[in-house]
Amino acid sequence: MRWQRLLFSIVAICFVIPLAVLAYLSLSANWYFPALWSHSFTLEHWHWLLRDGSPLTFSLLLSVGLSLSVSVAATALGFFVSRLLAYHTTSTYWLLGAYFPYVIAPVVFAVMLNVYLLRLGLTGTLGGVMLAQLLITFPYAILFFYGFWNERIRNLEHLVRTLGGNFRTVVTQAILPSARGLIAVCFFQTYLISWFEYGLTQFIGVGKVPTLTIMVFRYISEANPHLAALAGLLLILPPLGLLVVNRRFLLHKAWSI
Amino acid sequence: MVTLNNIRKAFEGQPVLKGVNLRVEDGETLAVLGRSGSGKTTLLKVMAGIHRAYEGSMRVDGEAIDHLPPQKRGIVYLYQDALLFPHLTARENIAFGLNVRNATAIDREEKVTQVLRSLRLSEHGQKYPAELSGGQRQRVAFGRALIIQPAILLLDEPFASLDFGTRREMQRLFKRVAHQHAMTTLFVTHDAREALSVGSRFAHMEDGRLHVFPDRQAFINDEASGIRDEINFWNEIDHTHE
Repeated sequence: MRWQRLLFSIVAICFVIPLAVLAYLSLSANWYFPALWSHSFTLEHWHWLLRDGSPLTFSLLLSVGLSLSVSVAATALGFFVSRLLAYHTTSTYWLLGAYFPYVIAPVVFAVMLNVYLLRLGLTGTLGGVMLAQLLITFPYAILFFYGFWNERIRNLEHLVRTLGGNFRTVVTQAILPSARGLIAVCFFQTYLISWFEYGLTQFIGVGKVPTLTIMVFRYISEANPHLAALAGLLLILPPLGLLVVNRRFLLHKAWSI
Repeated sequence: MVTLNNIRKAFEGQPVLKGVNLRVEDGETLAVLGRSGSGKTTLLKVMAGIHRAYEGSMRVDGEAIDHLPPQKRGIVYLYQDALLFPHLTARENIAFGLNVRNATAIDREEKVTQVLRSLRLSEHGQKYPAELSGGQRQRVAFGRALIIQPAILLLDEPFASLDFGTRREMQRLFKRVAHQHAMTTLFVTHDAREALSVGSRFAHMEDGRLHVFPDRQAFINDEASGIRDEINFWNEIDHTHE
């Protein structure tokens, strides 16, 4: 027990230290090498964030909106399309196809995708980035949910039908309550994929869709560590919030018998 | 009364049901004995409307039901797995079919209370499936089907996953409740003793064909049912111990 507590403390410190450094850096001013600590502090960066028309606030809202839309669409589509694949086709090629964006790497996938997006006039637009991210997260959701549609769920669907339920009853009373934990986890994971996506977003967005991840790299390349730290903190907070909200589903097999 | 006339079903060209004829009278329990792969489950799924695209015809009280989807047939199929809704209590699970049919709250409460009492589950009504034993779950599943008074209840080896004692208890309970509610049931099992214990009429299924026996003795005497073999086996064991 004692060594477990010690191990837990070490792991917790490993997680907290980078966050503390980011917070410290976002509040410091004129902190240059080789000084071990900053001698002056300022709220200037945080004030700048809260100011009207701040590009960082815009990026934060843009990223939240983009990732929420992508993850909700990917989870919903993936859920029902995986059912279609599991029940109505004996071909596994469709399923193998879902691995495609990951096997060839998302950036290479973006290069291939860009040919079509250019023709559609979607390169450099929010719609184009959204579509590109959906084409990455949607196959992930299919793979994620495919195993859910097993014999037991199929029997449950049939049972509800014989008890008098129509398809809506089957979905609302049998499938969704049984899958709610998985849906929450898939939403969380597709949100993370979209939220931290850099290469594909940069390539399709051509810098015109400044998500928070893009902004962090932009500040780093501009050698602005204070704003990079502030953007980094903002980048971490929404996924942490989702982690807390979804912890029940992430840690337990909810509603499983 | 449920009648099946020359029911045939094939999967990918392989015939599974080869012309099944059957008549189940109101209030009787037809026990169907058969080995795995003999076509028992397929027969039940065809009857319930889960497997469509079959040849032949089916009637319930003289009305053809072949064109009807599962939810309109009035036939409930119970699996070996109780398949309770994990987010609903035992009481809510039992009330499920009544909710689907928009029954009034008073009617629903009255019927659910009656079924809970009949299945000796009164003190477990507020429990969730995860808090119930295997036998209690099966009783809830049984109650959920019973409450909507189906034209015929199809049971696909419902007690196969239970331990010996619970299984015997459930067989007795099933017989009592089926008699009490005058239920028409088709009980599929691969256990000869279970078939004899629950059935009022008997049939044997082999290689997609169903043979219905005129009475209990004919069922026991039939070599294909394997009951004689089983009786001889137990007699041999008894003699060995003597």
